[in-house]
Amino acid sequence: MHNLLDFLLKNSKWFLFILYVVISCWLLFSKNPYQHHIYLTSANKVSTFVYGSASGVTEYFNLHDINEDLQLRNASLEQEVIDLRHRLRTYQEDAYADSLATDSLMSQFKFVIAHVISNSVSRTHNYITLDKGTLDGIKPEMGVVDQNGVVGIVNIVGDHSSRVISVLNPKMRLSCKVKGSEYFGTLVWDGKNSDEAVLEEMPRHERFTKGDTIVTSGYSAVFPEGIPVGTVMSHAKEHDDNFYALRIKLFTDFNTLSTVRVIENIMKDELNAISAGEEND
Amino acid sequence: MTKTIIQFSILFIVLVLAQAIMFNNICLFNLAVPFFFIYFIIRLPVTLAGGWVVTLSFLAGLIVDIFANTQGMNALACTLLSVMRRPVLRLYFPREDELTNPEPSIRSLGMEVYIKYLFTMVAIYCTIIFLIEAFSFFDPIRLLLRIVCSSLLTFLLLLGLDNVMSRSR
Repeated sequence: MHNLLDFLLKNSKWFLFILYVVISCWLLFSKNPYQHHIYLTSANKVSTFVYGSASGVTEYFNLHDINEDLQLRNASLEQEVIDLRHRLRTYQEDAYADSLATDSLMSQFKFVIAHVISNSVSRTHNYITLDKGTLDGIKPEMGVVDQNGVVGIVNIVGDHSSRVISVLNPKMRLSCKVKGSEYFGTLVWDGKNSDEAVLEEMPRHERFTKGDTIVTSGYSAVFPEGIPVGTVMSHAKEHDDNFYALRIKLFTDFNTLSTVRVIENIMKDELNAISAGEEND
Repeated sequence: MTKTIIQFSILFIVLVLAQAIMFNNICLFNLAVPFFFIYFIIRLPVTLAGGWVVTLSFLAGLIVDIFANTQGMNALACTLLSVMRRPVLRLYFPREDELTNPEPSIRSLGMEVYIKYLFTMVAIYCTIIFLIEAFSFFDPIRLLLRIVCSSLLTFLLLLGLDNVMSRSR
């Protein structure tokens, strides 16, 4: 017994050596990952803490590169968003164009779909900017409508953009009539409220009731007849002896304009020629 | 004695941490890997009992393994290296009793012997570890290149460390 203990002590180095080699080999060659105890991998608490503190310092070294990468990525994503938005808009236009009823009355008119890129409602003279211009077939003095009603008339045209005089502009005078009657008057904005306008010069002998629909008269070459404008809000304020002025609630919501149609009158030149002829006579 | 124990404890922690945090991430030219922490095994006093040398080496290797997720690889190599330590030292410096300082260093062994000893130890370690690695992926030329490059890199690093250590004392 004594000899055995002596032997063990004397050769403890070699026993330990064999023990460690066996442990290492067991760790090294155990194929089953479940034998890799969590304490013996970098997932244990201590090494996680050490790695965490180390990366707390080293992560700053890479910030510049990471930042640059992110900027690049951001730019490419932004580009993609713009691209997709553009594509979506084209599809929207197609769908919108398909949804338009084309009856015989409209056949002399063509539509160009455009988007409002700037708009104002709060000034006294309001203008709208569209994203289509000469190259898309837009010319001055074309009418602009949206799905609800009249929006304005094209005023200045560039290659890819155009400015529209909004209905909410005292310069804009629109010939309108009460739906179902032939009496017409002129719609002007009184600068007070973005969803109201005044229909002036309505003959006094006509009776109007609240809620009557006002549509375009079609007497100008700009708008076809019958495009909705608004409804009568309040009965006639006395303007002068022979005419009424009606307060109109506009159908078009100028605060949320986005997609609009620009109306091209194919027969406009012809009509203008005839009018010019009349004046010459 | 206590001073030596504290010194070696600090050396152990610093070297193992440095290996785990820094040197494990280095792989020059996809070939050379520095094994910084074996400096601890190289510097352990000759007078230390064999059991201790083996145990400490095994622990150092195991901790590095834990950090690097190399199951038992460094532990095995360290254990083998710790056993070869004495024979290698005896090979270059047969008169062990004449050592002025039980720790193998430039001062105690002399420049030439120490460099030989250091390089042999490093080369042995690199050979063992890449041979173990080769069990799973064998490519003789690449294996040789890895052993040589890693040995050189580790050797140079440890020489530099030696320089710093001897100056600070």
